[in-house]
Amino acid sequence: MAEQIEAVTLIEAVAGFLADVQGQLSGRQAFHAKVAQNALAIVARELAQAPQATERSLLAGLMGQDGDLDALRAGLCADLRAGTKGAKTDGLIDALLAAALTKCAVDNPRYATFQRLQT
Amino acid sequence: MAAEQTELTLATIADATPATVADVLGAPVTRVEALSGGASSATYAVDAVRGDGTLWPLILQCAATGSVAEGGLPRADQARLQQIAFAAGLPVAEVVRVLAPADGLGEGFVMARLPGEALASRWLKLPDYAPARAALTGQCAAVLAKLHQLPMAAAAGLALPAGSTVELLDRMFANYRRFGVESPVFDLAFAWLRERVTDRPASHIVHGDFRSGNFLVTPAGLTAVLDWELAHLGDSHEDLGWLCCNSWRFGVWQNPVGGFGQRDELYAAYEAAGGGPVDRDRAALWEVWGTLKWGMACLQLGDDHVSGRLRSVERAAIGRRVSEVELDLMHMLKFGSV
Repeated sequence: MAEQIEAVTLIEAVAGFLADVQGQLSGRQAFHAKVAQNALAIVARELAQAPQATERSLLAGLMGQDGDLDALRAGLCADLRAGTKGAKTDGLIDALLAAALTKCAVDNPRYATFQRLQT
Repeated sequence: MAAEQTELTLATIADATPATVADVLGAPVTRVEALSGGASSATYAVDAVRGDGTLWPLILQCAATGSVAEGGLPRADQARLQQIAFAAGLPVAEVVRVLAPADGLGEGFVMARLPGEALASRWLKLPDYAPARAALTGQCAAVLAKLHQLPMAAAAGLALPAGSTVELLDRMFANYRRFGVESPVFDLAFAWLRERVTDRPASHIVHGDFRSGNFLVTPAGLTAVLDWELAHLGDSHEDLGWLCCNSWRFGVWQNPVGGFGQRDELYAAYEAAGGGPVDRDRAALWEVWGTLKWGMACLQLGDDHVSGRLRSVERAAIGRRVSEVELDLMHMLKFGSV
């Protein structure tokens, strides 16, 4: 363990704090506290699952070249806009579906389409 | 950038009170309760009293002057269109008053408060609403068929946005690029649509936001179609596709029509009610389009936070719902509208 208090520990502590004060809030603030807890859960999953590394490797495979994620995304978007890549490009649909699954696993693993694709 | 700068300070509205609403209505008001809203727009439940002393249940919707989003319908025109729909026999709340500048409540209108549950997550799941769920597909088909039979001339004089399908797609793409986000899934969906969209001139009055979250439902069925803010002149199939987007099924993906029905039943009932022949491929295309359009809305809400226009944890979190949209789009491009 590099630190006594890991980032995940901080997230859990803040989530616990939000849960504590939630009972004292009402209306919009109570709703926002709930949204904040969900947002922290996203951050915790992102730290644990490292979706950007997965997406980077998927896009690098698709583009046939390495690079950081932003550059790979921008390059692929440019190709899609220019029509040099498209739905018929080998492996493109499957790679983008896999990338979308990876992101949704972090952002909302309870989403119906995510659940539907697990079976 | 200049336009974004001016958006940084949103105009605000005055709180509606029984006294201010009574002035608008010219009738006594016993209760005004905020149902939802933020600084720039709000919805109120209003209890007024009719001349004969009976309760007059109303809804007041108002927004800061000039706060209507680009491409949106001015509130007064929204009220007029809703009234045209009401006169045509559609299930909508009758408009009682359109706000004037002198009322001091911004832009908006007062309409009848109808019974029914607006939260789709409730009426889609509660056992009491089973008869409603059974009736809704036919009712939605009948409403859309009736709406789409109105001639476009019925809305003459209203500032309904219009455009051919290709113009609308170009506009949506320009909007996407404005956010500076690079999403391969969104770009693929735009390219996929561009290959398939036939350029059609606007041919129908389209509700533009006809989905489960915009219905008032009692256990017996549909009582009102809400939120005519995104109405425009376009392709009738847009409403059919939008109703079936996975985003509005509230997890009940097995029932593509709003989480309660099947496409076959919707299309058959729509044709039987005089809506005209349904082209299934075109409706499926509008499902992809609608899903992408919801993705643009998520980007806009996330941008509200990132740009500082409206900083809120809710806006920031909604920005992450882009992942749901991307997954729905990829599911459709891989497996079709199933």
